Amino acid sequence: MVTEEEIEQVSKLMRIDIDDHKEFVEKVHSMIDYFDILDSAGVESEEISMPEISILNLRKDEYIPFDDKLIEKLNHYKGTYVRAPKMSS
Amino acid sequence: MNLKISALDYVQEVKTGNISAEDFVAKTLERIKNVDDALHAFLSVNEDAITQAREIDKKVKSGKKVGDCFGMPISIKDNICIKDSKTTCASKMLENFVAPYDATVITKLKQQDAIFIGKVNMDEFAMGLTTEFSAFGPSKNPWNTDYVPGGSSGGSAVSVSAFECIASLGSDTGGSVRNPASFCSTVGYKPTYGLISRFGLISYANSIEQIGPLTRTVKDSAFMLNMISGIDPNDNTTIDNKNEDYLSGIDSGIEGKKIGIIKEMMGDGIDPAVLTATKDAISKLESLGAICEEISLDMVKYSVAAYYTITATEAGSNLARYDNLRYGYDFSLEGYEFNSYISKARRNFGPEVTRRIILGGFVPSAGHAGKYFLKALKVKSKLTKEINEAFKKFDLLLSPTVPILPFKLGEKIDDPISLFLVDINTVTANLTGKPAISIPFANSNGLPIGIQLMANSYQDKHLLQAAHALEQTVSLPEVSL
Repeated sequence: MVTEEEIEQVSKLMRIDIDDHKEFVEKVHSMIDYFDILDSAGVESEEISMPEISILNLRKDEYIPFDDKLIEKLNHYKGTYVRAPKMSS
Repeated sequence: MNLKISALDYVQEVKTGNISAEDFVAKTLERIKNVDDALHAFLSVNEDAITQAREIDKKVKSGKKVGDCFGMPISIKDNICIKDSKTTCASKMLENFVAPYDATVITKLKQQDAIFIGKVNMDEFAMGLTTEFSAFGPSKNPWNTDYVPGGSSGGSAVSVSAFECIASLGSDTGGSVRNPASFCSTVGYKPTYGLISRFGLISYANSIEQIGPLTRTVKDSAFMLNMISGIDPNDNTTIDNKNEDYLSGIDSGIEGKKIGIIKEMMGDGIDPAVLTATKDAISKLESLGAICEEISLDMVKYSVAAYYTITATEAGSNLARYDNLRYGYDFSLEGYEFNSYISKARRNFGPEVTRRIILGGFVPSAGHAGKYFLKALKVKSKLTKEINEAFKKFDLLLSPTVPILPFKLGEKIDDPISLFLVDINTVTANLTGKPAISIPFANSNGLPIGIQLMANSYQDKHLLQAAHALEQTVSLPEVSL
């Protein structure tokens, strides 16, 4: 059972304000309930396999000049810095 | 001017001087103007398209080398970056975002003289399968505008189906190319994972998503694949396909090919009309010399839960970058503390994206990861083993693309679980990295039905050959809009 407090905590961690926790509890709960089907898949002993990706063909680690000033595409900047609100102390 | 021609016919007509790119593009823009208020496939239209087409005509007339597209108008899903064009992901968060660079697929198509006629609608950040979750309003199915066109590449499918362009590029994370292709009666192709570069595709779930073409014919998909596939230093997951020509030998047929019919994709909840169409497809393939036999894949029934668990986790991570500092909309910084600013700004995500972000925080979290995320990865591994075993016996696997017919706008929007189950036949190809295609096959009371074929990894060429063979067995109506 997912509680309203858990949803609130997760939304805080994921840094997204939500208006109606109850609505989200209901919908997220029905989704999580559905995911419980994974319990009957019988995969406990299965190993997780990940595709191997070669690191030999990585793109070159080099500076690529850019025609425009990218910083000017941002909403908030000053000089060559991104502007952001103050961190709480 | 016949706007209904295929990509290959268009190229031939412009090459031989029977039509001009300018005239065709002008008529295409006129068509968009006439029908798109009703369909809402486009989020933006390229105002320079006619000028670009004129340049291509000049090259044709002067005998200069012209790229393979000859000015063919293509629509692009709005999560693929075109330099200096808006790329919104159908989200209020990126409403005014102008891409500073081209996606690799766009670079490749520009080199082939394609014209990007516009950016098309989608579910916000590709999360959805009806296009109803676009922040800018849903697209409508051109076969019946009361119905959803499928998604998330709904605008792509609508634009091809309603003759607002010749071809489109979409992205497919769990069926987002094939589902709308099936609902709108176009071909939709999801290639082997790694065959097409994702550089410049705005990420949703990197480990399984692929860009793919939506076209009028299977041959057109092969033609598009020839131009956009191949290794890319900007995407380390791409594979070297040695410039394979997917068009050559496409008429090879399917005589002697073994086709597995996936039992779990034709079970409970399948619409009777879809079942009838699928049986008809099997009969037609058998009459062409294929050998069809039922196969059971146990893991399929867990695939949707595994898919949503994995994609929510990856989405939660990918969408963390939208803090409204580097990208975002106009929202003043004044009066906010750092974290509260970001949390407030991110309220501009729509409801489905917000749900997935929350799920993406929940399922991999300490205390829940073992039950959800890790188990989902194990299902993915076991499903891949099952599919690989199946391909030792069969050349292809078949199912309906979607087990139900297109449904009405608003019918399922408040029921996430019933929406989940619409994905049951398509997510397997993504979770296992296999290529899959939806072929328009039938029409039930004016609503399209697509058949899905899947092949083993790197067998894209054989898959296209089989799809072409099946396509040749049917003659379908066109949109009458």
